[in-house]
Amino acid sequence: MSRLKFSILFFLVLFVASESRAEEEKVAELKEEFNEALLLRPLPDRKVLAHFHFHSSAPPTRTYGRHHYLFPKSIYQLVHKFQVREMELSFTQGRWNYERWGGFEPISSSYAKPPGVELWAEFDVPHHQVDDSWKNLTHALSGLFCASINFLEHSTSYSTPQWSFRSFSGKLRYGTLPREAVCTENLTPWLKLLPCRDKAGLSSLMDRPSIYRGYYHSQRLHLKSDEFDTSNMSTGIVLEQTLTVVLQPNTFSEKISQPSWSLSSLFGRKVSGKCSLSHSSNLYVQFEQNLLSKVNELWGKSEASKNEILINESVQNNPLFELSLPPKRVIKEVENLQKEGSILFEFSIDNYDESDPFDLGLKWKLPVVWSCRQAPLRASRFLLGSGNERGAIALSMKSTRSNNIERAGFDEKECWLRVGIFQVVPWYVKVYYHTLEVFLDGELQSTMDNIEKIHVSPSEDKVSPGVMEIVLRLPCSVKTAALTLEFDKGFLHIDEYPPDANQGFDIPSAVVCFGDFLTSMTFDDNSLQNIPILSKLQENTPVISYTEVLLVPLTTPDFSMPYNVITITCTVFALYFGSLLNALRRRAGEEERLLKAKAAKKTGPLTLMLSRLSAKLRGKPWEPPQQSSSTRSSINYKLIVKVALVAGIGVAWHYYFQ
Amino acid sequence: MDAANNPPSPAMAEISETSPASASELQKTEPEFDLETMRKTKPGLKRLVLTLTVLLSFLLGLPFLLKSVEIYRSPLPFREIDDLSAAVGSNKLFFPCKFQAVFVDFAGDSFTANDLSISIKSHMQRLTGKDSTSCGACSYNSTISVSLETGSGCFHSDNDLKWKCGALNELNKCEDDEFLDDYLQSLLGDNDVRSNGGKVYSVIVVRRDDEKAVRAVVGKYRHAWIVGRVSEEEAVKKMAEVFVKVFVNGGKEEGSITGEFMPVGADGRVVLSFNLLNADPRDWTYDWEFQEIDDNILAPIIEVLKPLADIRVESQVLYHTPKSSFSYWDDKLGSYIFTTNDLPFFVNSNEWHLDTSVAAGGRSKILHFVVYVPSATECPLLLQLPNGEISMTNGFISPMWGSVVVWNPSACLEDAKLEPRVRQKISHEDLRKIFEVFIGQLRQLFGLKSRSLFGDAGGTLQLLTSERGFTEWELDVLSRQHTCFNLLQCATTLGSLSRLVQSLPRMIIKDEIGKQVKYSLEAAKLALSNVSDGVYDASAVSSRQARSFAEDAFYHPSMMSVSYYSFEHCFAVYSPFFLPVSLHVLLAALREWKRYKQETRKYKTWKVKNL
Repeated sequence: MSRLKFSILFFLVLFVASESRAEEEKVAELKEEFNEALLLRPLPDRKVLAHFHFHSSAPPTRTYGRHHYLFPKSIYQLVHKFQVREMELSFTQGRWNYERWGGFEPISSSYAKPPGVELWAEFDVPHHQVDDSWKNLTHALSGLFCASINFLEHSTSYSTPQWSFRSFSGKLRYGTLPREAVCTENLTPWLKLLPCRDKAGLSSLMDRPSIYRGYYHSQRLHLKSDEFDTSNMSTGIVLEQTLTVVLQPNTFSEKISQPSWSLSSLFGRKVSGKCSLSHSSNLYVQFEQNLLSKVNELWGKSEASKNEILINESVQNNPLFELSLPPKRVIKEVENLQKEGSILFEFSIDNYDESDPFDLGLKWKLPVVWSCRQAPLRASRFLLGSGNERGAIALSMKSTRSNNIERAGFDEKECWLRVGIFQVVPWYVKVYYHTLEVFLDGELQSTMDNIEKIHVSPSEDKVSPGVMEIVLRLPCSVKTAALTLEFDKGFLHIDEYPPDANQGFDIPSAVVCFGDFLTSMTFDDNSLQNIPILSKLQENTPVISYTEVLLVPLTTPDFSMPYNVITITCTVFALYFGSLLNALRRRAGEEERLLKAKAAKKTGPLTLMLSRLSAKLRGKPWEPPQQSSSTRSSINYKLIVKVALVAGIGVAWHYYFQ
Repeated sequence: MDAANNPPSPAMAEISETSPASASELQKTEPEFDLETMRKTKPGLKRLVLTLTVLLSFLLGLPFLLKSVEIYRSPLPFREIDDLSAAVGSNKLFFPCKFQAVFVDFAGDSFTANDLSISIKSHMQRLTGKDSTSCGACSYNSTISVSLETGSGCFHSDNDLKWKCGALNELNKCEDDEFLDDYLQSLLGDNDVRSNGGKVYSVIVVRRDDEKAVRAVVGKYRHAWIVGRVSEEEAVKKMAEVFVKVFVNGGKEEGSITGEFMPVGADGRVVLSFNLLNADPRDWTYDWEFQEIDDNILAPIIEVLKPLADIRVESQVLYHTPKSSFSYWDDKLGSYIFTTNDLPFFVNSNEWHLDTSVAAGGRSKILHFVVYVPSATECPLLLQLPNGEISMTNGFISPMWGSVVVWNPSACLEDAKLEPRVRQKISHEDLRKIFEVFIGQLRQLFGLKSRSLFGDAGGTLQLLTSERGFTEWELDVLSRQHTCFNLLQCATTLGSLSRLVQSLPRMIIKDEIGKQVKYSLEAAKLALSNVSDGVYDASAVSSRQARSFAEDAFYHPSMMSVSYYSFEHCFAVYSPFFLPVSLHVLLAALREWKRYKQETRKYKTWKVKNL
């Protein structure tokens, strides 16, 4: 008995001790933090990827209070006002080239976004309030970022994914504006959220002409909060701001080799010291594993020694490239399957200032060609059919021959490839979901055999868009797979057409997700977890790619039509009424008499001549004109002259303006 | 023969073809019958009736058409709006206030209490005659209750406010002001309850012949006292001054902010946004313990100002925010100087992004309070007043915008190099000083004095300050002004709304607007009745509601939209039909009518001739 008591006591002591340690840790964690980092990576098509990563965190309000010294006030207020649990907003220009810039790595999965604006948010409110929160949030964001995000307010422009997109809670809303133009007016408010804006630190590299000249530009804001959780373990609000740009270094070197570049040649600026408020400011240069294997081939050394050589002597005597500054450290990625991982060179900009700015250069010594890691299937989407009545959407996926390896849950007998597709279609493109057809390697397959899970919510006219969520199950050996869906084009009310209706209407990008394939980088060193960009890269994220935006031409009416219709009907009615009234009050006998009296007074010489002419034509002897016939012919004559005059004017006009 | 003259029907047209010959014959045979002037038959009515029927049916159809194109207009109470503007605009709002004067230890019995009351009143009326422009003043109709405590006894004027005689006897004369203030409050505190409506302001004059100087002190509550060697004449004059200039007008000086610039948003909300600006964080970064300040200093003030405005507080720290004006080095003062001429350029709206508040939506007002920490290149930074002195507060206000205080970190005075990466905290004393300045500035923004002395012709008055920032009589002044200004604004807004609505007959007015106008009028009426009852807080609250509803109605989105169905639009749609048709119909009717008259005349002449 006493023993039991003792042991209980012991456990209690242990428990208390561990509790207090946890408390201590929490107290230590109760700090706002800001981190900045820049990742540079040469791309196979002679371009350079620059990925700015800013990370701010605020401890939970319950323990820390609502006054912050680093965390942006507007975002904090936004989170609290609309009870946002998680939110992502991206402004993108250009399309990520999955083939050349990589489709199977953390950056392409997490930071490559569809063109225009994409916004999704998950709320921590009861289900019936989610839509209201979403509407208010779109308006607030639209004001905050100087963009027309408020167009996502209408229920026709956002959707509720059930399970395929991020969350299962049903409190997530997703909306895109594919045609939103992105420019500096969106970047400036985004920069305002950083404590140093672009006055100091890595963000001072953001020279507007240079970054908007790039091939791809994606500015993103992601926030996650567990402020409203009741549990004690909440971490507060984490705000992640990234800017991903693909730039072309402007050099005049020959075509084959990679262009050498430096920060000042890429951005036109140098870094004059870190942002004094940031906890860490690092710059990373990443070399992909495919490039490294090329290096190793060139090096021509034995299998065992090549990695070490590359790491240890990378800066001084590397056969391929040369970095102008010595890195602070070299981080090697560990890959589980026999392949070698990529390498990150870390540079710290702590010790640079205005008199000695930081300017890193990369010089290529030899021409080198390599390719990026691809997603198992490359998805592309296009339209079928012609005319203004109906068409079909086709989503084709081509194998990149990398699906046999690196698969999670590999099974020798039955090898399946799961592909999730999330597609939102506006209501005026009326998709017939029963026409869904699946083609594998060009052959029509039974639909249900290849679909593991499907959820369709058809569009409702002027109320909600159509949403399709599918998980396809394809055999691993598949070379091409295609999905087709037929649709009818709907008619919009004349008020609903956008200003430039003849350009066509956009169908937002579909999200293609390879749930079995996870991208992450793994590093040996656990201390790297403290650096937000590296811990982000280490997160397991499924491979995601976005398809193209489709442009559907719809029948557009003549927008002046209502007025034309009004005018024509009114004219017809007026004519009808006028003539009816005239006919009703006509006095034929009296008119005749009046005409006769008029004709008796005078008969013009022309009339005489004409009547003579007509008599000759008729082949009758000419008689002095009778009153009635002469009047009639004079009327005819006047009419003819008038018609001829009008026709003449018309012809002259026509010729003159030809 | 007759056929030609008859109004021909379509069937008769055939017959008339053959008639001309016979007609000419007829003319020959009867020379005195002129076809132009006479006719033998009565003119027919068929065509006239037809055209008139068509015209009439059009005219009858017109109301139906107008009804069908009618737009919905919620009926607005125009008459009541006019009544309200008349009530608020013509005669100014006067609040009932009661005044109590107490004379202690006045030996002579040359005056009775009632005489004193009348003489104080005449003095007050003379003083108010000079400046009667301010909105929210007290009405001086009520009599002033006077209590006269002499050696021989206790005299009261005929009023219900009674002073407990001898209450001050037990008090030691060298007590400090704060204690005396609280003691008097305990004596006079229940006056408001007894006065049934309206606040009671008291001045107590204690004659002390052994003290040469006369001290006049205004307490935190609703009373003041004058101690010293004063005659009745002086005391009466001084009392009238205290009543009018301090208790009624809030001790305002010429040129201070008037009630119209009350920094309260149209919806009755104010956001106090406190900003700490580090001009250059590369030199040093400072942080503050705002939470503590918020709880200890700001929360009581917000509580006190609740009837006036719904106030919220937020804070942020910004970096890399240089000022946009220049400052120069002054060797004598050993610091950088910026003068009052630079103030318009001090606020750098490009770099100071202060206005990022999601909380302040709609028409609420943001007041910015900025602590500016200068960078090492401009530190210490001092504000020089136009008279060459250095400003005590080192800050300035901008009406309706907020205020700025420059805080020089101690590091720059010591000329020590700080480690820039380390976040410093503004010390507690410094922060308290800064916020005291802020509260003074807030008082100024609300139009009150921030000095504790009030000087005028008859000597100086000492004003005691409240630890909550605003004394009770100041709050009274504020809520009076606020009520008056809100009601004026509400009446103006509703008046312009009714004018706008009446000038645009084809504007759609939704029910919601009608409702808002109704609520606004109701709240305004409530406020007015509260004013006449002297319930200050309630009248301030309901006047705020009235204004807020009026503004809501005026700025309703459906009113703002341009796409109302204008008369021009209506005309453009219907004119292609109605213009030609109505021309036809009208002309036809006119012609037929003319012809009918003419033919009748012809027939009559023929008849006359034949007779």
